[in-house]
Amino acid sequence: MTNGKDMNNAHPTTRSGIELQPYYMDADENAERPGEFPFTRGRRATAAAGLIHRELSGEGPAKKSNEQFKYLIEHGSTGLDVIGDAGSAAGLDPDHPLARVSCGTQGVSVCRRQDMTDLLRDIPLDKVSISCSLNPLTTVAATALAAEELNFPLEKLRGSLIHAPLYVESCCYAVHFPVEFRTRVALDSIEFCTKYMPKYHSYIEDTYFFSESGNDPVEEMALGFLQIRFLTRRLLERGLDIDSFAPRIAILVNCGMDFFEEIAKIRATRRIYSKMMRDEFGAKDPRSLAVVVTSHTSGLSLTAQQPANNIIRGSMQAMALALAGVQAMEISTFDEAFRTPSPEAHMVGLRTQQILSLEALPGKVTDPLGGSYFVESLTDEMENRIVARVKEFEDMGDPEELERKGVFADVFQQAMAKQQRDVSKGRQPVVGVNCHAVPEEQDTLLRDVAERKIEPYLSHVEEIIAWKKTRSMDRVNDALKRFADAVEGDANIIEAVRDALRADVTFGELKGTARQALGLDYDYYGRVEPPMKAVA
Amino acid sequence: MEREHFLIGTLGLDQHENGAVAVRRMLEEAQMRVTYVGRFNTPDSIAEEAAQAGVDVIGISCHSWEYLDMVPELLEKLKERGDDRPVVIGGSVITASDAERMKALGVSAVFNGAPSDDQIIDTLRDLVRSKRTETA
Repeated sequence: MTNGKDMNNAHPTTRSGIELQPYYMDADENAERPGEFPFTRGRRATAAAGLIHRELSGEGPAKKSNEQFKYLIEHGSTGLDVIGDAGSAAGLDPDHPLARVSCGTQGVSVCRRQDMTDLLRDIPLDKVSISCSLNPLTTVAATALAAEELNFPLEKLRGSLIHAPLYVESCCYAVHFPVEFRTRVALDSIEFCTKYMPKYHSYIEDTYFFSESGNDPVEEMALGFLQIRFLTRRLLERGLDIDSFAPRIAILVNCGMDFFEEIAKIRATRRIYSKMMRDEFGAKDPRSLAVVVTSHTSGLSLTAQQPANNIIRGSMQAMALALAGVQAMEISTFDEAFRTPSPEAHMVGLRTQQILSLEALPGKVTDPLGGSYFVESLTDEMENRIVARVKEFEDMGDPEELERKGVFADVFQQAMAKQQRDVSKGRQPVVGVNCHAVPEEQDTLLRDVAERKIEPYLSHVEEIIAWKKTRSMDRVNDALKRFADAVEGDANIIEAVRDALRADVTFGELKGTARQALGLDYDYYGRVEPPMKAVA
Repeated sequence: MEREHFLIGTLGLDQHENGAVAVRRMLEEAQMRVTYVGRFNTPDSIAEEAAQAGVDVIGISCHSWEYLDMVPELLEKLKERGDDRPVVIGGSVITASDAERMKALGVSAVFNGAPSDDQIIDTLRDLVRSKRTETA
């Protein structure tokens, strides 16, 4: 038995024995090769032997999620994607009245330093890269402290964190901070990583979640590039060298059902990125020019009807991603339309990736579709349209100002409405929904997983309430005062978060205190009192 | 007849808004009136806003399991206020057995599965008509 790790490149030939080259190209010596500027054909010349397989994970308290991580790694996961539950994503502690009922049900519940330590315990953090969909204010600092406690050198730590200051409030993962503060958190977080965590992907541009509103692939990448350009300019204004942070930017793209357009989108993305970094931002390090593209198959394309069909959708999307030469992928699970992934669905997603890598072998040759009239033409057209759309946005004004005016909120709302209208009017065929539907009583295959739910981890809520009482409140309050000063000043906010977490301040308290320092109510929902007031 | 008037929103920390936005547009295109409250509402705030706006029906879009706790809480709040406004819910996360449970608790209609726009609109029109007749 083998976990397949050593089998990825065991077939340098086809099944009939035809020897394969690492890539194929035009007879013209000047034609673009993979691994060369502008990287349309791939980051590297050799096939993606080390494609990272991930599945979305996180459930219950950190210890429970850590067991889930180990289970996935044992079964061949080579990366992890951890998502926070609703409260953790919003920066609310699990004992917040609105967060209790979803504690641990849609992801892991993390609200304090030790949660991050429990989450990462015994995970080989230099080998297994953890992609984090967690609150940007606290994740990097808590990760750094966890590594410290686990005696893991920060400079070897791998992983990544999503930043989307321009868009989070408008579609998903709203954190209820004003855009200027969200931008500061992103910039400080990237700068912190540049200083202390050089192997960590300090900035994932996650175009996945905002394309899930229904935006088409051109809009998806235009919004993504708009944000990359915005944050890059702001980092340069701070005096950072482009080559100090550009190699640690990665793009997490979505992959929907339009097979060739998705492939062309990824090829165009690599090209746009490298031209932009070299020609506009003056990057010189080759690693700054060849962007890492990671990917996630589309949850929006999945249906609650006939869920077995989602396995087919996931595998087709994964095939597109493999042909486009992404560095990492994960497949939305077949039950995503109606629940947080079940263990069975996780395993099907992981096995799909393994079948793809070990049996179908699309990654044996780099950019196998390069040179196709269709794919090359589509790649050029995607590049033109994405670049033009970015310019349209930039001509409208400063991105932060556009956010304040609600321009992006409007883009997302329009996309959501259009997507649903296209499906309900039959303009976009969706098998099992607007065509080839079956009566509900016949739609039984894999249905049983929908009825099995994850109950909220109320015992964890109780544990947090009890733990909070054991803290020295003088220490907590001192730390919160210092943190509030840092928010009002211009120190690196992530360093301030790290100091506060050492004093056992919680993520929710940091969020509330930051809101207060910004002149807002401590709790967006008006349900929780600040701890400082409670002591007074 | 006065246009049918609906409140549409989501409850708690459920950040999935696609369904709510889509239903809002669908109802508006059918010449109905919508008071759209978007995301981040509590049972209290929904009950209050529904009364303030004087809507015929409250519609909650559900895309996470939180609805299993929060919709019953909303029904309770309405009861406490002596408000018998109908509540309808919709979303792919609602399973067949939970749909029955919600109806037993007092939810007037559940849209799960893949109802067509017409089915949704017809059901809502009927609900408003019978409610208005009852009150008149």
